[in-house]
Amino acid sequence: MDVDEVVSGLILELRRGTLILLVLSQMKEPTYGYSLVKTLSDNQIPMDANTLYPLLRRLEGQGLLSSQWDTAQGKPRKYYQITENGMEVLEKTKTYWKRFSEHVDNLLEGTV
Amino acid sequence: MNQDLLERYLYAVTRRLPEKQREDVAQELRGLVDDMLFDRCGDITPTEKDLRVVLTELGTPRELYEKYSGDAGKCLIGQPYYSTYKLVLGIVLICAGAGITIANGILLMLEPQNGLQAVLTWLSMLWNSLISAFAFVTLLFAFFSWRGIPVNRDFDFDSLPTVPKQREQISRWECIAGIAFCIFFMVVFLGVPQVFCAWLPETNQRIPVFDAAAIRQGWYWIALFSVLGIAGETVKLLEGRYNRNVLLVTLGTNFLSAVAGILWLTQYNLMSPEFTAHLSQLFGEGEEIVVTLFSNFQIFFLCVLLFALILDTAEAVIRTLKK
Repeated sequence: MDVDEVVSGLILELRRGTLILLVLSQMKEPTYGYSLVKTLSDNQIPMDANTLYPLLRRLEGQGLLSSQWDTAQGKPRKYYQITENGMEVLEKTKTYWKRFSEHVDNLLEGTV
Repeated sequence: MNQDLLERYLYAVTRRLPEKQREDVAQELRGLVDDMLFDRCGDITPTEKDLRVVLTELGTPRELYEKYSGDAGKCLIGQPYYSTYKLVLGIVLICAGAGITIANGILLMLEPQNGLQAVLTWLSMLWNSLISAFAFVTLLFAFFSWRGIPVNRDFDFDSLPTVPKQREQISRWECIAGIAFCIFFMVVFLGVPQVFCAWLPETNQRIPVFDAAAIRQGWYWIALFSVLGIAGETVKLLEGRYNRNVLLVTLGTNFLSAVAGILWLTQYNLMSPEFTAHLSQLFGEGEEIVVTLFSNFQIFFLCVLLFALILDTAEAVIRTLKK
C-alpha cells in the first residue's frame, strides 16, 4: 500500500467539500477570481486558478453567486458576489461545519 | 510575447463549450493569464517562455475544458442503472445470439451451402443482430439514465422484497430459454414454415405440413404469441420469484394467448392441402386414430396449446399462493 497516495486521496476528499464553503465566505464584496486565489493562498489555503474559475461559474449557475463585468478600469474583470440564496447556504453550512469540526477535534484529540 | 499562442490555447479550451459561454470564459481566462504574468514578471514585459510557464500551470486545454463543462467523472449509464443494464444486456445478447444461430442452422438445412460460406453468413447475421441488440439496450438505458427514470424500487425498507423460498424462486436460465424459444418460434414459423414436412419413402417426396401462404397471411398472430411469451418471461426474469406481479402478468398473457390461439386456429386453414390428401398414404390404412387426429390437426393443436397455458397458469397460481 502506498501511504502517500492514500493520504493525498483523503486530503483531496476533505478539501473538496470545504473549498466551496470558503469561496462563498469570501464573496460578500464583489471579488474577481485571481484576487480570491491570492486571498486564499495568503491564508494558507492554496487553490489552483484552474479549479477556482470553473467553480465560480458553477456556483453562479446554481444561483449562489452573481457576476458583473467591470470594464471601466484598464483591464476588463469579471466580479462575483454572493446572492441571497448563497448567503443562506453559507450560513447553514457554516453552522454545520462549526459543530462538525468541533466533534471531529474532540474525537481526534481523544477528549471524548 | 506570442499572443497567437494564448488565443490558440483559449480556442482549444472553449471551442466545445456552449456557444454563449465561449467568449465570456475566454475573456475571463485572458484576464487571469494577464494577472498571472504580472505576478511572475512585474513590470518587465513577459516573454513567450513566461506565457508557456503560466499556461502549463493552468493545465492542458482538455483538463480545463473538462472542469468548465463539468463532464469529468460523468458517464452515459451510471448507477443505479448500470447493474440492471448489465443484466438486461447479457440476457438480450444471449437470446439474440441463440435465436439467430438456431434460425441460421435451419436455413442451412433447407439450403445447404459450403462450409466457409455458411460460417461467413452465420457470422455476419450474428454480428448484425448483436450490434443492433447492444445499440437498442444501450440507447434505452442511456435514456433512462438521462431522464432519471426509476428502475429499482428498493428505496423504502418496507417495500424491500422478502427472501424468496425455494418454491417461489424462478431460475434465470429457465426464463432465458423461454425467451429464446419465443424468438425461435417466431423466426421459424414466419421465415421457414416449410421446415415442418413429412417424407414419403416410396416416391422420396417431401410434403410440407403447413400452408406457408396461410401462415404468412396470419403473421401478426404469430408475432403476438411471441411478444406475449417474451413479455411474460421478461417479467419473471426481472422479478426472479413468483409474486403478485408475476401472477398477474402470467394470467394476463396466458389469457390473451388463449384468445389469440382460438382466433388464429379457427380463422385460418393452416394445413397444406397436399398433406391432408396424403394422410392415409403417410400413416397407413390401419392407423385410423392418427389419421383422424391429423385431419383435425388444428383442433388438436388448439387443445394442446390451451392445456399448456392452463398448466402454466396453474403452476404460477400454486407457486405464488402456497407459501
